[in-house]
Amino acid sequence: MTRPVPIPDEVSAPHWEAAANHVLTIARCSACDSFTHPPGIICGHCGSTSPVFTFTPVSGRGQVLAWTIARQPFLPGFETPYLLVDVELEEQKDLRIVARLLDGVDAELETGTRVEVAFEDLSDGVAVPAFRIAQ
Amino acid sequence: MTGGTGSFTARNKVAIVGYAQSQIVRHADRPLGAIAIETARSAISDAGLKVEQVDGFVASSMFPNAGGHAIEDGRSIVTTDWMAQNLGVSPRYSAGFQGYGQLPGSVGMAVNAVASGAAEYVLLHRALHNPKGRYNANPMTEAGGPMQWTAPLGFFGPVSTIGLTYNEYLQRYGAKRETMAHVVVEARKNGSRLPWSYWRDKPLTVEEYLDAPLVSDPICRLDCDIPVSGVACFVLTTAERARDLPHPPVYISGFAGSQPPMRRLPTHWPLDDMIDLGVGLADRLWSSAGLGPKDVDLPQLYDGFSPFIYFWLETLGFCERGTAHEFVEAGGIDSDSRHGLPILSSGGALGNGRMHGVPQMLECYLQLSCRAGARQREGATVGLACHASPNLGGVVVYSSEPS
Repeated sequence: MTRPVPIPDEVSAPHWEAAANHVLTIARCSACDSFTHPPGIICGHCGSTSPVFTFTPVSGRGQVLAWTIARQPFLPGFETPYLLVDVELEEQKDLRIVARLLDGVDAELETGTRVEVAFEDLSDGVAVPAFRIAQ
Repeated sequence: MTGGTGSFTARNKVAIVGYAQSQIVRHADRPLGAIAIETARSAISDAGLKVEQVDGFVASSMFPNAGGHAIEDGRSIVTTDWMAQNLGVSPRYSAGFQGYGQLPGSVGMAVNAVASGAAEYVLLHRALHNPKGRYNANPMTEAGGPMQWTAPLGFFGPVSTIGLTYNEYLQRYGAKRETMAHVVVEARKNGSRLPWSYWRDKPLTVEEYLDAPLVSDPICRLDCDIPVSGVACFVLTTAERARDLPHPPVYISGFAGSQPPMRRLPTHWPLDDMIDLGVGLADRLWSSAGLGPKDVDLPQLYDGFSPFIYFWLETLGFCERGTAHEFVEAGGIDSDSRHGLPILSSGGALGNGRMHGVPQMLECYLQLSCRAGARQREGATVGLACHASPNLGGVVVYSSEPS
């Protein structure tokens, strides 16, 4: 059983190409420069109907605002239990991404724990973001 | 932006005049549509009407699970068109509610249809099917569209969604997971008294709650309502026509809903979104109904996941932000106590099964029309019924008095 892989589309393709090289990029509105994750049709910050999102490399650093331990395998390919963290990236207030924490389910977390991006390679040329507790 | 807060001119001009509900079971042994048609006929008859008098149909037919099951009208869902067609009616008005807070949203559409004269008698239904197999497990091998940003990363399904929000609440306010036992035990206590409930005669103890396995910490299995099959139907008409019908009418005083913001991952509900959007919903609700939380005798809160109870208590103004857990811990929601706030006297979703807002609406109707039998509560004249969560749900205020 393999994990589900992302299907890149015309907007998201640059994000997944960068992820394959273990670079985290976030969509940035070309009208107002705000980061948005994920990119929609309209910019949620400035309302632009032509946001022409550009995937921009970010630090991958952030703080944990919430977490949960997933104990049931609702999707194929995931070994349970695993930790999911809700991370606010340091580039912008309330810019949040939810991904796995790779330090194991016994990792000690509190609100504000610093993390940095890591990547999980799912297959050749396919990697998805995750996090590790920052050293 | 919270939208306008203008006066609701249809306030108390439309009423519920009859209902019927099927037995709530884990898996029905007959097609959902057959049960829906029988329930609809019973509700119309209960209202003192004939099927051919019903000229409006409103429902949400959303199939609430993440398991990727095939959807077939009449078997896994029942749309208004299917309902009208199979009752043999050509309606003047047939419409489905698209959003979340499906039942309050449907009530709002039914009120609008009746108040505008688009229909004289509206049948509102909710039909829920529990498919065989695991409810939310999904065998997907790839994810496109909005889900490409979540599922491949391991973020999938409603239990993880609420696990994150609930843990954010526990961490921020120093609340204890154990306190939630009071919510679930209260729901199951009331559900155990209902002859139609999946959980009839099956109350729960605190110890049983604490022994339940965790699913997505801090959410345990008993924090989640159990998927069921069941159908409920309500008949609505104008306050004027209601006077000539057999049962005391229950009037719709106001309603409001909410939507999550842009700029979020799908199914990501941070605590601040949950509460801030709920407070906005509450402002619109009180403005619509022309009253406030202190006027409500029977606040029926939604509990499809138990933490929603905290969130509704705080957003609707029954508790200060961050204090609902203390209120619950202190026995504040015991519906058998004279001093308790009867928020789960319906049994809720946790005490009936996953009927998606039906228990809350039904309790308001039964109590305010004095049709609750042995469970009848004295002196309740204003109720409210929530469905879904404050960030993407809905609420209806009901009254037993027309003004």
